[in-house]
Amino acid sequence: MAVNVGLAQVSSDFMIAALLIYSLAVLGFAGDFAFGRPRRAVSAASEPAAELAAVGVAGAARVGAAVGAAGTAGAAGTAGSGGAAGAAGSGGAAGAGGDSASASGAVPVLPARKVPALRAIWEAGPWVRAAMTFSVVGLLAHVIAVVTRGLAVHRAPWGNMYEFVTALTCIAALFFVYVMIRYRAWALGVFVMGAIVIALGLAETVIYTAAGPLVPALQSYWLSIHVTAMTLATGIFFVAAVLGVMYLVADRYRARVAAGKAQGGNGLIERIPAPAQLDKLTYRTVIFGFPIWTFGVIAGAIWADQAWGRYWGWDPVETWAFITWVLYAAYLHARATAGWRGRAAHYIQLLGFASLAFNILVVQVFITGMHSYAGVG
Amino acid sequence: MTDIRTPRSQGAETDAAASFGDKEAGLIGTSGGDTAGPSATGPAQGWPRWLWRQLTSMRTALVLLFLLALGSGPGSVLPQEGADPGAVQQYFASHPALAPWLNRLGLFNVFAAPWFAAIYLLLFASLVGCVVPRTFRLAGSARTPPPRAPRHLLRLPHSASYPSALPPDAAVGVAASLLGGRRFRLRRAQGGDSGHWVSAEKGYLREAGNLLFHLALLGVLVSIALGGLFGYKADKLLVEGQRFADTPAALDEIHPGRLVSGSDFAPFALTLNSFSASYYTSGQSRGEPSNFQANVTYTASPGAVPASYRIRINDPLSVDSTKVYLIGHGYAPVFQVTTAQGQVVYNEATPFIPANTGTLLSDGVVKVPEGSPSQLGFMGVFVPTAVSVGGSLESAFPAADNPVVSLIAYSCGSCMNSSVPQSVYQLDTTGMQKLTATPHVLFPGQSWSLPGGNGKITFVGIKQWASLAITYDPGQVPALVCGILALGGLLLSFLVRRRRVFVRAEPAAGGGSLVTVGGLARTDASGGFEDEFASLAAELAAADASAAPEPGETKREPNNQSEAGA
Repeated sequence: MAVNVGLAQVSSDFMIAALLIYSLAVLGFAGDFAFGRPRRAVSAASEPAAELAAVGVAGAARVGAAVGAAGTAGAAGTAGSGGAAGAAGSGGAAGAGGDSASASGAVPVLPARKVPALRAIWEAGPWVRAAMTFSVVGLLAHVIAVVTRGLAVHRAPWGNMYEFVTALTCIAALFFVYVMIRYRAWALGVFVMGAIVIALGLAETVIYTAAGPLVPALQSYWLSIHVTAMTLATGIFFVAAVLGVMYLVADRYRARVAAGKAQGGNGLIERIPAPAQLDKLTYRTVIFGFPIWTFGVIAGAIWADQAWGRYWGWDPVETWAFITWVLYAAYLHARATAGWRGRAAHYIQLLGFASLAFNILVVQVFITGMHSYAGVG
Repeated sequence: MTDIRTPRSQGAETDAAASFGDKEAGLIGTSGGDTAGPSATGPAQGWPRWLWRQLTSMRTALVLLFLLALGSGPGSVLPQEGADPGAVQQYFASHPALAPWLNRLGLFNVFAAPWFAAIYLLLFASLVGCVVPRTFRLAGSARTPPPRAPRHLLRLPHSASYPSALPPDAAVGVAASLLGGRRFRLRRAQGGDSGHWVSAEKGYLREAGNLLFHLALLGVLVSIALGGLFGYKADKLLVEGQRFADTPAALDEIHPGRLVSGSDFAPFALTLNSFSASYYTSGQSRGEPSNFQANVTYTASPGAVPASYRIRINDPLSVDSTKVYLIGHGYAPVFQVTTAQGQVVYNEATPFIPANTGTLLSDGVVKVPEGSPSQLGFMGVFVPTAVSVGGSLESAFPAADNPVVSLIAYSCGSCMNSSVPQSVYQLDTTGMQKLTATPHVLFPGQSWSLPGGNGKITFVGIKQWASLAITYDPGQVPALVCGILALGGLLLSFLVRRRRVFVRAEPAAGGGSLVTVGGLARTDASGGFEDEFASLAAELAAADASAAPEPGETKREPNNQSEAGA
């Protein structure tokens, strides 16, 4: 079927619009960093209601407690001062809660429910309000661009590298906006949306490909299944990688402050979530992406069986998908192994993303294999 | 996710409950902590046991996972015997010093190399050594009731409290029936226990899913082995009109499994009636293929009713459990060679191999050992859509719109009688003489009178060929089933969380009781326990209020205080 040129043009325009609006969102998040009210300074003990509104200071305290406990059990403690303080803080709060409950006797002390998302955004200040608006509008434009591209070429819009990158950044943005709202993690916006803007910008300038039909090898409904899963997982791992880098920066800073090598009070780093929170958020992101990646590999194997006569053949792209899978599996195991938690686990996770990026940017482009989309012969 | 290695003789029930005292944690859940030296395990067990512990430790599993990732890398960068033997030969030619060393390390066949097998076999041994004891432990914990409720529930990570108008025992009873209705496993205070409490636990599926995942991976490995032992893969190139039977002798190239014999091949026969390829003719995709199809007639077994099928990319032919795939195509110019006396000594469609996959400019050779007076050989280039670019022939389009062959003729006395087998796609010109200085170009139907009284060669016409892959892999379905099971196990282990909820009631000063609720999730990966506990606590309070003897009492609203445990 012929390419619908008009729709393809609409798609291109919306893609550019998404890029511009995302850039505004990044500016908004950066403005929040520079001029917004500091929010993270609240402690669990002094202002209990705020703890759930912020990126779960409570959660941090709990993770801190857990990691701290592991540290006392003889493992290499990676909690740092933040974790220890969190553990101490949580103990104090629990004691206080217990006392008040037994003293009053008649007042129920039930865990608080969350502040609704919209109110949380409103309360986060004008910069965040603007940035979130831009993010959501940009995302809308991005989704429209991807969908119209698909309609223009009458297939799933991820048949070549340009389409793949625009789709995976769309997934990353979608997933990240969800994470940001779910965990009230406004402080992450400038980093993740920044990375998305860079990736999308490079896709627009370096590898732009006009809408076109597919070679026979890709004419299969498995394109929609296998590549969709891979795109989804890549977008999610992309977010995890940015979070991992932030973790390493924040953790290093905290370790240096604790060791007296750096002055506390670095405004930028103080504002991003504590390492323990970033760690947990990264983990949740990875365990969301990992089953999707696994599914994508299985779907790819089924497709490979149909198209090439074997479900697994160590084609370069298959090999690197396997390496990526193994590295993310290693991350999940490392996180449960004493002595590997924290920084080491994050390095593994980033190595996993590096292998994923290598697969997309180097193997699929420069190494010939069955995934070179060249058709038969 | 705490990883405290609590001693087995753990006495303090509070700690045991609060830390999920048993050792397993994380995904594989081996005792990831420090593995003690042999002395610690006692003299009776000694080194073998210590080695086994080392192997099954999470740390070893991690290192092996790394090695697996690291070891796979070269297989994607260096040419591999299994995928492209020609590229390996090329590599040997261009790196004469390095290649033999790489070969010694098995780097041209990484995925069949002994060291690679050693890595994954050790990894799976480690996995078995970890998963089997955990299966028994899970079976054990499914039979034992949840631990006793800790004394101070407000010290747990999640806690809540509410006053009740009911006496302690009844208040706990209300809570227990609500938790039981949520399919928690319960343990009520017995006669010997102090106080009024109920312990509830849920989420055993997490560990079960985790185990399923690892066992299914083992199943995938076994399935692959099954395919490697009993499956086969073969290639066959067919020119339009040709027929073949699926026997080892008729196939071009066979990769049989270790335990496959000739009689294991499916007894089908297949004729390639026609092959067609179509290409985009306009736009930026001009010249790219839009469709390939091979129309075949086949009989599933000798004497069976013939059936036809249209094999396409992504649409193989299935004959019983054997599949036939279309994996390549090209042109086969038909040549006729006649001697000066008019005797036809060659009349065949000769498959040419594409040298350029985009334009299908193809190379091929014609060997005429029956040539007279000399044996003849031709090196040819087939150009599907010929255009002249700066005096040389190029192909502008992959379809045969303006087909041309360009031939160089060679002759020799009896050089083709050698018993050394030669590839049909290559002409060894040593000992042969070029008949003309320049190549000769022929259009379909044209003939070329060869010098030296060697008769003539006619470019009769063009046929197409298709190369087919015939595969049989008995491990395929088991591998798929295991893959799906692994995915299911993975999802269970990520989505389900094992959690404990404790409810204690103490008599209150003014009658009724004070109920405290404590909650604990072993691994709160998806992070929802906080919310689950909050709503559970609210429901417990509500259930308690509605079960209270004074219905007129005001319904208690949960106030906005933080969870006390945080």
